[in-house]
Amino acid sequence: MPRTIAYLSFVLMMSLVVLTSGCKTKKPRPAATDGEVLPGADTEYAMPERFEDGERITDVAFENVLFGYNQYDITGAEVAKIEAVASYLQQSTDVRLIAEGNCDERGSREYNVSLGENRAQAVRAYLISLGIDGARVQTKSNGEEMPLDAGHGEAAWAINRRVEFALYR
Amino acid sequence: MVKGFAFVCLMCVAAGMAWGADVTVSGSGGSGKVGIDLGGLTAAGQGGALKQVLIEDLKRSGWFTMAAGGGVEVRGQCVSGGGSARIDAEVINPATATRYFSRAYEEPTATWRRAAHRLADDIVKAVKNKPGMANARIALIGAPGGKKNLFICDADGQGLVQLTRDNKPCMTPAWSPDMRTIYYMSFHTGYADTYSIELGSRTRKKVAGFPGINANPAVSPSGQQLAIILSRDGNSELYVMSTGGGGASRLTRTGEAAEASPCWSPDGGQIAYVSDRSGSPQVYTVSRSGGSPTRVTHRGNENVNPDWGADGRLAYSSRRGGRYQVCVLDPRTGVETQITTGGADYEEASWAPDGRHLVAAKTSGYHSDLYLLDTLGDPEVRLTTMQGDWYSPAWSPR
Repeated sequence: MPRTIAYLSFVLMMSLVVLTSGCKTKKPRPAATDGEVLPGADTEYAMPERFEDGERITDVAFENVLFGYNQYDITGAEVAKIEAVASYLQQSTDVRLIAEGNCDERGSREYNVSLGENRAQAVRAYLISLGIDGARVQTKSNGEEMPLDAGHGEAAWAINRRVEFALYR
Repeated sequence: MVKGFAFVCLMCVAAGMAWGADVTVSGSGGSGKVGIDLGGLTAAGQGGALKQVLIEDLKRSGWFTMAAGGGVEVRGQCVSGGGSARIDAEVINPATATRYFSRAYEEPTATWRRAAHRLADDIVKAVKNKPGMANARIALIGAPGGKKNLFICDADGQGLVQLTRDNKPCMTPAWSPDMRTIYYMSFHTGYADTYSIELGSRTRKKVAGFPGINANPAVSPSGQQLAIILSRDGNSELYVMSTGGGGASRLTRTGEAAEASPCWSPDGGQIAYVSDRSGSPQVYTVSRSGGSPTRVTHRGNENVNPDWGADGRLAYSSRRGGRYQVCVLDPRTGVETQITTGGADYEEASWAPDGRHLVAAKTSGYHSDLYLLDTLGDPEVRLTTMQGDWYSPAWSPR
């Protein structure tokens, strides 16, 4: 009985989190305090072994998911892009995908490798939350090394802070 | 009076004090400069170039000014030619008529500059009782033709050796304590993986290729472990693993944060790293065995690229006024000193084995070169002069 109450309070709390987070859709993962171990969190989104075989699908393309400076939150307008990928993956059950995270040229080159990876991981976690099997999605980070636009202004930076979808069959 | 001063000097040398005896102190630049007289060091054949390398090494050390009749005299000869370079040197304190040392330095032609580098380090050690840096190496990333590869150069930026020909992004070289192996991260397969390169045999091995990233390896002082950023558990986190490639254990659990850029404390007990869990990248320290991290940077809206020096001071790049400036923090006292100023970005600072200097990538007008920075205030010195961008420097341990 206390267990059920605890479970219900948890569900209620999570609903509140979802309601109060407004248009900023956080990665669906419980917040952690440093040093605190979250049961299940380590393995829930654990990565599959790399798939390097398979044929790259080039006749289907999805819009890149864009991010703010030093951010890896998936914001309102970007959600629909991930949802489009999720419904494609639900239709095409033999397709696997690499989410490739990228950063703009600003900031630490080393930190940008981690930042690009967290962007890719945020997209992967969102796909998983939409019912996609995590084994079908792996991540890759290019840091700031592969800009789409080699320019140095906000217009270039905005399109460079992105996650691309590479599809494989 | 002179006799008394000389006596004090002698006592200091005899006691082997950490802060050596300054025989002559000049007013400008870093503190405690000694005049050194190389008039008695003759140069035969191509020995003139050898002597010039020695002069530049001594000036760059920050401890000497060239001065006739200075407080230190070097006598002997530089000979170069016939397949080898040789310096016979006698280093003297004329005030006390005592000899610091008398030694011969010989190198094959291919590495002739090292004869001067080794002598320069021995002079710093004998006169100032401090480690030198002239004979140390710097691992670095360069893009001379626009394509990125891993290189090594000498402490003066000369003697460049190319280690890889992948022409692909790579970064964060790190030396093993025995200087036989360099660990670094390369994108050459498309993934951010960590590799080791054995310098003797030039063989490359993948050390970490887990799903996700395997980034920013840092070698422990024992040489047995790597601090590294992995994301195999679903998020960028700090791990410690064997340099042989096995047994990764996780130190941070920040599902909502990105970790990067680890480095080890000199005793191997702690790791400093970057985390953005506060909302911006900042430097934290954590015990090597895990536990609760401590945030150590509080000024500047970003603090990145920490490097922990042998004397316990942390260097990092702090974003101030829109530019990355190198700062040095003593975690024991909390005293922070900003080393660079001006309109350029200084990033990826690495401590020299002398504990006084840092090498950093200075970026100005979208172009990067390595610069030598002095924590005691001497002007910066440009080390890379080749075409292209040069960055991600890592000084060898000695």
